[in-house]
Amino acid sequence: MTPTLLATGWSVHLPGVVLAESLDRPGAWAHAAAPGPDQAATLLGRKGLLAKEPATRLALCAVHRALGLPPGRRPAGPPSPRTAVVACGNLGNVKTVADIARAVSTEGLKGVSALDAPNASSNVLAGTVALWFGFGGPNLMVCSGAAAGADGLRLADLLLRARRADRVVLVGAEPADEVASALHGTVDARGGLRAGAACLVLRRAEGADVVGGAALALLPDHAAWPRPPHVVLGPDGFDPVRHWGDCHGAQGVVSAALAAHLAVDDGHGAVGVRDGSLAVLVEAAGGGGG
Amino acid sequence: MGALVASSAVRTCFGDGAQTFAALLSGRCGAGPLRYGDPAALNVAVGYHVPDDVGGDHAGRAGRLLADCLVDAVRRAGLDPARQRVPVLVGTGLRELGGVEDWALTGTPFPLSRLDFGDVVRTALPGVADVVTLANACSAGGHALALAQDMVESGDAEAVVVAAADTMTRSMLAMIGKVTPEPGTRVRPFDRDRTGVLLGEGAAAVVVVGEGGPGPAVARIVATGLSCDAHHETSPDVDGIVRSMRDAFDRAGRAPSEVDLVVAHGTGTALNDPAECRALREVLLAAGGDPLVTGVKGAVGHTSGSAALVNLDVAARCLEHGVVPPVAGLREVLPEGAGLRFARGERVATRPELVQVNAFGFGGVNAVTLVEAA
Repeated sequence: MTPTLLATGWSVHLPGVVLAESLDRPGAWAHAAAPGPDQAATLLGRKGLLAKEPATRLALCAVHRALGLPPGRRPAGPPSPRTAVVACGNLGNVKTVADIARAVSTEGLKGVSALDAPNASSNVLAGTVALWFGFGGPNLMVCSGAAAGADGLRLADLLLRARRADRVVLVGAEPADEVASALHGTVDARGGLRAGAACLVLRRAEGADVVGGAALALLPDHAAWPRPPHVVLGPDGFDPVRHWGDCHGAQGVVSAALAAHLAVDDGHGAVGVRDGSLAVLVEAAGGGGG
Repeated sequence: MGALVASSAVRTCFGDGAQTFAALLSGRCGAGPLRYGDPAALNVAVGYHVPDDVGGDHAGRAGRLLADCLVDAVRRAGLDPARQRVPVLVGTGLRELGGVEDWALTGTPFPLSRLDFGDVVRTALPGVADVVTLANACSAGGHALALAQDMVESGDAEAVVVAAADTMTRSMLAMIGKVTPEPGTRVRPFDRDRTGVLLGEGAAAVVVVGEGGPGPAVARIVATGLSCDAHHETSPDVDGIVRSMRDAFDRAGRAPSEVDLVVAHGTGTALNDPAECRALREVLLAAGGDPLVTGVKGAVGHTSGSAALVNLDVAARCLEHGVVPPVAGLREVLPEGAGLRFARGERVATRPELVQVNAFGFGGVNAVTLVEAA
């Protein structure tokens, strides 16, 4: 089976989680600090974070790390029109929206800041990633509940196959504020809501002029593995949700990015992710990395 | 390459697609007193509401309008999602965030599963499994349309339902009220003295099939171009809009001068309308084009995520009937619109061949669709 996607960068950004403690053979990446939303400036630099919601900050951190940028740096120059953004998450702006509604009912518009205007729109996270890093290609905000990450992977693949972009930055992020956590408490999940983010930088596998990376084969929901994976992530194997909590709409991206780390950075060979509608087999591309 | 619109269903303040088009041709304005939230506290007095006998009370209203359109469009296309795999893409700006606000204000329970439209779609269309909710602001429907065409062209699906729905949230109304000195009384797209945007409730669904699909079609989608400004969170950028237009023409293999009608985004805001005019001049007029320009938001308000599909429905009816509605609310064209031929005052009898449909959203997300007769 031909892998459809090539990941050239990835990150798992779960503040407060020591990834290395749960993993067999954890690489250096698993020891790296993941600053929380309030410490995002240590990675991103101080400028521009005012009124940015926690999920947006986490998403920016995850993209920053997946691109391998030095602290405080971001790409300069005009927007890159051939890089698309596919962002996945549901809860990023629920606290802002609830707070605005409460403020209006108690003190009218005096209690509302115009700085929150972008946050009233549910795509603020996707738009901010594009603006921060200069990604001028198609920009999608996928809000399909727990399946958002799986949908995001398939849409990233579609954008690349349809030649709408040469590169897709797939990012998932959710917060765990009190509004998000209360809403998440109404769904049947295997763990409580965990604030976190993850990112995969994706290209088409065929004809890619990139050496190394991770090859991702997207499989239909219930398809058998084309080869038996050495590690399976999900309810039937190592379950990130049970270990670290549920990143809800970002979980699919978290699991897929974790699979890339395990397969390439830690040399675990083929790593499968199977969770709900997500089924993907991740291996080091071109025989490199394990 | 291209795709067919096998059927289209919309709901606006005027009713269904035929009722909406008739009202547009008459130059009517569907604005009325705001029936959601506290108008005085929000500094917003007017909304373009779908009648309550269609939409029901506000809880879950977007989902009900959506379900109505889904059932209507699928029935008219003769599609049976129980017998064939039909992915559904739903574009929305505000999802059901009004339910989150109700929960915050009154404690009314709000299951998280109702924030997106997956359950609504699966209930309305039994047999559907794949539902993607795209929260792409005011161009959500246009983005969904682009992806649906990609899916049928690549053979991923034989038919895709593209849908959209938006009603109102207190938080978005508050932001409109916050940036508006005086509450607006109606939307005046492209007017020199425009006073800003007002929300319209709306929903839409279209069935997209591949070329040569069975049955009649209401229009042919030539291509949709996409871009993100990556310029500013809320202010539109001419360069970003221009890129989405050029992307559409590149994908279509068509020349900008071929466009003879633009169904514009035209929100009546200080920033959108000048930027959209500049982009139209830069891409269409500079290439020798001289299209008629119309827009619907003066009549139906800004239907947010549904706006692109409402525009598409209007474009299809212009193609079919050979008549173009005027821009309701437009009195004197803004300076940046000089040289553009707006449909003003009266309907214009003309038979366009290639129609450009614009949709731009918060976050600088742009979708431009080229449509022609099927």
